[in-house]
Amino acid sequence: MASLSSTNCRAYSSTSSSSYAASSSVHHGHHQRLAVSSVPKRFLRNKISLQSQSNPFSTGVRMQDGAVATKVTPVENETPLKLKEGLLSVTSSEESKDAAGFEFSEDKSTVSITVVGASGDLAKKKIFPALFALYYEDCLPEHFTVYGYARSKMTDAELRTMVSRTLTCRIDKRENCGEKMDQFLKRCFYHSGQYDSEENFAELDKKLREHEGGRVSNRLFYLSIPPNIFINAVKCASLSASSSSGWTRVIVEKPFGRDSESSAALTRSLKQYLEEDQIFRIDHYLGKELVENLSVLRFSNLIFEPLWSRQYIRNVQFIFSEDFGTEGRGGYFDNYGIIRDIMQNHLLQILALFAMETPVSLDAEDIRNEKVKVLRSMRPLELENVVIGQYKSHTKGGVTYPAYTDDKTVPKDSLTPTFAAAALFIDNARWDGVPFLMKAGKALHTKRAEIRVQFRHVPGNLYNRNFGTDLDRATNELVIRVQPDEAIYLKINNKVPGLGMRLDRSNLNLHYAARYSKEIPDAYERLLLDAIEGERRLFIRSDELNAAWALFTPLLKELEEKKIIPECYPYGSRGPVGAHYLAARYNVRWGDLGLEQ
Amino acid sequence: MARHLSPCSSSSTTTTFSPSSFNHEAHLSRKFVVVPSRTYSSTWVSRIHTRINQRMHPQLKSSNGHPLNAAYMQDGLPGNPLAKEHFEPRMKQRPIPLSEPEKAESTLSITVVGASGDLAKKKIFPALFALFYEDCLPENFTVFGYARTKMTDEELRNMISRTLTCRIDKRENCDDKMDLFLKKCFYHSGQYNSEEHFAELDSKLKEKEAGKLPNRLFYLSIPPNIFVDVVRCASLRASSANGWTRVIVEKPFGRDSKSSGELTTCLKKYLTEEQIFRIDHYLGKELVENLSVLRFSNLVFEPLWSRNYIRNVQLIFSEDFGTEGRGGYFDNYGIIRDIMQNHLLQILALFAMETPVSLDAEDVRNEKVKVLRSMRPLQLEDVIVGQYKGHSKGGKSYPAYTDDPTVPKDSLTPTFAAAALFINNARWDGVPFLMKAGKALHTKRAEIRVQFRHVPGNLYKRNFGTDLDKATNELVLRVQPDEAIYLKINNKVPGLGMRLDRSELNLLYRARYPREIPDAYERLLLDAIEGERRLFIRSDELDAAWALFTPLLKELEEKKIVPELYPYGSRGPVGAHYLAAKYNVRWGDLSGEDS
Repeated sequence: MASLSSTNCRAYSSTSSSSYAASSSVHHGHHQRLAVSSVPKRFLRNKISLQSQSNPFSTGVRMQDGAVATKVTPVENETPLKLKEGLLSVTSSEESKDAAGFEFSEDKSTVSITVVGASGDLAKKKIFPALFALYYEDCLPEHFTVYGYARSKMTDAELRTMVSRTLTCRIDKRENCGEKMDQFLKRCFYHSGQYDSEENFAELDKKLREHEGGRVSNRLFYLSIPPNIFINAVKCASLSASSSSGWTRVIVEKPFGRDSESSAALTRSLKQYLEEDQIFRIDHYLGKELVENLSVLRFSNLIFEPLWSRQYIRNVQFIFSEDFGTEGRGGYFDNYGIIRDIMQNHLLQILALFAMETPVSLDAEDIRNEKVKVLRSMRPLELENVVIGQYKSHTKGGVTYPAYTDDKTVPKDSLTPTFAAAALFIDNARWDGVPFLMKAGKALHTKRAEIRVQFRHVPGNLYNRNFGTDLDRATNELVIRVQPDEAIYLKINNKVPGLGMRLDRSNLNLHYAARYSKEIPDAYERLLLDAIEGERRLFIRSDELNAAWALFTPLLKELEEKKIIPECYPYGSRGPVGAHYLAARYNVRWGDLGLEQ
Repeated sequence: MARHLSPCSSSSTTTTFSPSSFNHEAHLSRKFVVVPSRTYSSTWVSRIHTRINQRMHPQLKSSNGHPLNAAYMQDGLPGNPLAKEHFEPRMKQRPIPLSEPEKAESTLSITVVGASGDLAKKKIFPALFALFYEDCLPENFTVFGYARTKMTDEELRNMISRTLTCRIDKRENCDDKMDLFLKKCFYHSGQYNSEEHFAELDSKLKEKEAGKLPNRLFYLSIPPNIFVDVVRCASLRASSANGWTRVIVEKPFGRDSKSSGELTTCLKKYLTEEQIFRIDHYLGKELVENLSVLRFSNLVFEPLWSRNYIRNVQLIFSEDFGTEGRGGYFDNYGIIRDIMQNHLLQILALFAMETPVSLDAEDVRNEKVKVLRSMRPLQLEDVIVGQYKGHSKGGKSYPAYTDDPTVPKDSLTPTFAAAALFINNARWDGVPFLMKAGKALHTKRAEIRVQFRHVPGNLYKRNFGTDLDKATNELVLRVQPDEAIYLKINNKVPGLGMRLDRSELNLLYRARYPREIPDAYERLLLDAIEGERRLFIRSDELDAAWALFTPLLKELEEKKIVPELYPYGSRGPVGAHYLAAKYNVRWGDLSGEDS
């Protein structure tokens, strides 16, 4: 039984506007009405929440960490909203946001999505298909245009052909797929230009204007390009192709620098051209279904929150493994390594979501404030709490798998870790002393991403005798498997049916594939939708990013300065043995490498 | 991952005492006056400690020596420590007689009194065979049927063999085993009140026992009015001279406090407390057994197990058939006595009890009695009674209760009852415990439902719509059919929106344990043979249970409360909903969601 509440594509704006409303009772009734009546007016409501967000935003940062307080400049994209407000009613009173008035503005607004680096792999494999899926699900505004931008010379038709090859329709919604695809492709265009040419971006601007046809124009730039040209592209886009009447937002993907300094430099450069709330730093792991579900599990169930602390939780494990190596594309990776590639962003973000205190509301700023608090309560990583590894070649069943350094794009003497395990600690009242273990690796025996929560032993367990000697095996464990085969299960002890009194650890489980036959949307779909709607919950704020780098930078520097040699592990194995010793040091046993899983 | 234990052993594991506990006990024994143990006691129990926990007997003794003592013990009055001390020493005597020769010399005779009855045929003999098949019976054993019908051994064997089945997962050698088992079955015909006939039985038993140390178990599968006669005859004429003698009795244990008290007094004329095994076969059900395991061997449940987190608890029993022409016995008792006062109340007590000191029978039963004694006696306004009426559906018509020829036409006996109970202790104050039991309902099931409170300050309130009750967590233990445990949790529906859904974290037994689950009677018989009393009802428990229900039962009868009629095969009287609503509860089994 689903207790439904929101429409198909709605992310959070109903809640965000609600919490905003909570602060003023005048607001309250109003938004209530809107929320009830406006299923099709999604984007309108969104603007309300957007606007409400842009004001509290800067305060949010200050609240969060006084020192870092950013300059409170009038936010660029507020202007159009204010303008609109002005049109609707001269006073900025709440009453002005009349549902009817917004309908008016919706008709006039349009979104242009420019994929910068359109010929790249990510764009082809993820971004265009995600945009199409959103279109298919009716989650895009009525008026939208998709632009590909890259250096290659290509016609619109060529782009369409390229894009069409990667589009698929959801398994459960095949009807009209071909039609929809055609309609979508008609809205896709291409503009060829240099990434550092303001002139070329000005040309793009002109083309965009044409398509926007005088409507309020909102523009989203997705930078699917290497980090060294981020700034150039941002500069050109912002100076020459910003929207004059609507918002302009820029989505950037990792890497966000290599350490605290380079990350800060990048942020500073971005901020020369963009305001904080125009920057959408994507961490696609945060768009994963079960990561989204983590907060729902914690905060909408009574039974988990009482257990969510050092009192009941013995340790938490964040595990990411891939069953393939760099496969000839190690050039980028070798420069970063697994710690920067997976741990410092994806796993740390999940950790922060897992461990944060209950936020005031589900608004982006409230959640991100709590996440930053967690990060700032953490000890920077120390070398002795980290184990690094690199895969070596391995022959099995006649097939030889290459070593990392066999990759042609990787230097022969590379010390870049392809595996790392680390123990982290959060020195706050809730988590003091609880080890948070992370493990990430390439070329391992399995592909998975999961969170494991191991609970403490039952104090004074009446059934101790029935458990044999290894009491660790008898503890409860909550597993949230992010991929593959999304699932949640809780390991409990129960009696084996029969005349004896044998105890057994079984799973209380929820297997997503069994319960939800619908295909689970790709993380990029959610994130793109959120960016279009201005929902920042799943994007990383500058201060979050700084706090994350502050934890990892000393370690990364030390690893590089001391030229720490990674422990080799065979391709396709369970990773270096050192990870077990690291775990043992904190009385932990990796949950994914036990006999049972 | 299964942890070891022998297949037939029950929770009270034979354990190695750690050196430290040994020292501790030795120390105690020196310090306190040692009451000399009765000479027979060590021989009595000598056979069984392979399985049972040593501490159980001595403690029993104390309640046995002073029949009313149990109540004191559990109150923690001064009697307690003393009682505890004087049997500690015997714990250490015990392991010594456990020597091989003696073990070989003992034998077990199981006499099923009322062997020609339905229960005996359907449950007791098959359970005994299953135990034999699983190698859970001692090497030397004899099964005797006793009833008034004239029958030869051969005829008994024929009768039994028709109901024996081999477990699905262990078909091999089944026939061989069956033959072996039947060879150990005999029959003796006699009157239930004839000491002479029991003396004949005794001599037959002696013959089979052939000088070995005899232990005797009598299973009384007979109507309650002849309980006492049989117990008298059996105890006077057919008791074991130097082994133990135990008697298993089935409900009804009286009709109210008074008659139950009388029955107990009469039984105690011939038997000591520790010889009486009052069976409640619900306690032998797999998931009821599992209830304690769930609570006490998992960290995640116990912190939630109180009024802080639990909004209400529901104990639900329903049958999808009526009395079907056999209402004679039932009409005299009614659903409250038949199901609630025993099965459901026992489960409630197990559910709500504090953590016992150990898993020993006396410790567990002490805690159960405490729960019962903390409860308010039932009030008429907290009870709904119902009776099924005839109903036609799909061309088929189902009879009313009073259409049963064995039931008086004007019977007011409830075939359905719902009740709200309260435990006035620190853990459960204010939490409604709802019970519901009925015949001729739309479904057959027995389950425990635990509904948790709302999430305080729920961030996702908006996403739940108006009915927040639907959004609470719920733990369901389904006892039958299809044993399962599931926990309803809220999660996000996969997709771009933020719709919440209540799904289940579940463990379906059939899926995980394809093996057949043993019948409750197997476990209970085995426990009785091994002297494990955890699942049997002690006299003071029974008294406490009756004390809760007797005033209500009297009032119902005196005021001739007319039961609300409900159609055969329906969901029961609507009154049950109003009763629930009065305490802000919504029945979990009738909420529209299927489970």
